[in-house]
Amino acid sequence: MIELKNIEKTYRRGAEDVRALRGVDLAIDAGELLAIVGPSGAGKTTLLHILGCLDQPTKGDVYFDGVNTANMPESQLVKIRREKIGFVFQQFYLIPGLSVYDNIALPLLFSNKPAGRKKIEQLADMVGLAHRLDHAPAQLSGGEMQRTAIARGLVNDPAVLLADEPTGNLDTENSEKIYAILRRLSDEGLTTIMITHNVDLAGRARRTVKITDGLISS
Amino acid sequence: MTSYFKLAAKNLLRHRTRSALTMLGIAASVGVLFAVLSFNQGFSEGLANELERTGLHFMIVPSGCAHEVAALVLHGAVIPKFLDTEVMEHVKKARGVELATPILVAQLPDQQRGRIDLIYGVDMDVVSSIKPGWNITGNIPRNDHEVLLGNEVAQHDNLQPGDHFSSPAEGVDLVVAGVIGLTGSQDDAFVYVPIATAQQLLQQPRGATAIGVKVDDPTRIGAITEELTSVVPGIQIVTMGEVMNSISNLAASARALSLSIVLIAIMISAVGVMNSILMAVFERSQEIGMMRAVGASRWNIFRIILNETTILALCGGLAGILLSILGARMIEAFVRSVMPYVPSGTLIRFDVGIAAASVAFIFVIGIVAGLYPAWKASKINPVEAIKG
Repeated sequence: MIELKNIEKTYRRGAEDVRALRGVDLAIDAGELLAIVGPSGAGKTTLLHILGCLDQPTKGDVYFDGVNTANMPESQLVKIRREKIGFVFQQFYLIPGLSVYDNIALPLLFSNKPAGRKKIEQLADMVGLAHRLDHAPAQLSGGEMQRTAIARGLVNDPAVLLADEPTGNLDTENSEKIYAILRRLSDEGLTTIMITHNVDLAGRARRTVKITDGLISS
Repeated sequence: MTSYFKLAAKNLLRHRTRSALTMLGIAASVGVLFAVLSFNQGFSEGLANELERTGLHFMIVPSGCAHEVAALVLHGAVIPKFLDTEVMEHVKKARGVELATPILVAQLPDQQRGRIDLIYGVDMDVVSSIKPGWNITGNIPRNDHEVLLGNEVAQHDNLQPGDHFSSPAEGVDLVVAGVIGLTGSQDDAFVYVPIATAQQLLQQPRGATAIGVKVDDPTRIGAITEELTSVVPGIQIVTMGEVMNSISNLAASARALSLSIVLIAIMISAVGVMNSILMAVFERSQEIGMMRAVGASRWNIFRIILNETTILALCGGLAGILLSILGARMIEAFVRSVMPYVPSGTLIRFDVGIAAASVAFIFVIGIVAGLYPAWKASKINPVEAIKG
């Protein structure tokens, strides 16, 4: 489904060039639950951003359903992000002024799709927040915020869900709940890729990829 | 359902104080803009009404300044030059003159009542023709010792027809023949006396400040004034249209100055809007990065931010209009205290069209002020923003 060939990414930090990725090759099948692990600064997030068409490699090819996105213009990348990719972040990034319902529905605003109440309720129910739809993010616990963010990532029916340290700000109990949701999504056929420092969670993924110094080491 | 408008409104509500202060700046400048524009309209209409109420088409005055004539006609200023009433003979003979009256205006101090009387000498036979709107209690003076009081004068001294009116000159006894009903104009402040009495009070037995003329066909004013000017030397003829232009020109500079100040205030509030929104954009850069990640294009982000500035501008504009309407009396009192001449009646005439134009103007300014922050937001690199 997704294939990375010899991906390199170099960016500038001050006066020096930083080589975040140094020739990554990776193939990810549909419905896979993949955990990306590695020390801080190894290039995990950069890899996730390239997988999510949020960033482009300096060198190499990214095939998404057989289409190379490596040199696509921004307008086409936006379209892919809208239609095929869902993002979940460690810091949740919910909009404080909007209710849980509106936060989940937010991506539909950008894709010009109607926000059917039934669909939002189904997603909220799936992440265990059906009773919290009218609440503001400030009224939610960390785990509930992350579950809202997962529902938001799913609202456009993506082919891939990318999660950057989804349990990084959560306690063990909530981490388990989040993992259970991601596992269920993967079981239902959604390709799920998560970056994690949690060794236990990574060990339970179907496949784990370790990145060290911009290269896949195992 | 989330919409761009809702998203923008919610973003503004996250910093209520900052948004309210920014909006207040817009409201203040739009309020003043609306008041100034409304004042212009009220001033012009008030002036036109005031001139119409004189019941005359033009004034013949000694050669001099048209501004003095304007002042004479409208609020009883005294011109130190006099016409000889002999001019009346030429005026009466002119073709197309329906009526003419000598006018002698004087400000005479009345020691007994401790005030200055505005004496307006006029031919009492023409009063009902040139002032058909007057509602007189009592009579129009028929004798030289009778006066007709403006409503304000009568109210001030509590005078009724038949009462004695203390004369501003020794040896002249005056009686109130009638009191004019409230007109809401300068007429309320005059003491109308027969022209002969005014000449006696002023010791100008053949003098007149001006000769007021009404013609039977207003379209022939040009031809009539031309004929009179060629026949009678040493006179100047000023039509009411010219008086209006003259006073309007006097007010124009004040108007231009106030509009300039308002425009500067609007520019300052536009910079305030830009600054406020720009701060909000920088504070929310991670959130913008998230929106880009979940499918927002640069245009989508641009649109959200532009919506924020237009909401601020529109709400500020509407609040400004409301403030202006609520504060109209205060603004009017202020204008009356600083302007050399203002017509009577309501000075600030609120008009839906002017209100809409003011709001539309600030709407455009809001959009212009929002372009830079919106562009800045749309250029945020999502990868860098998410990394924080």
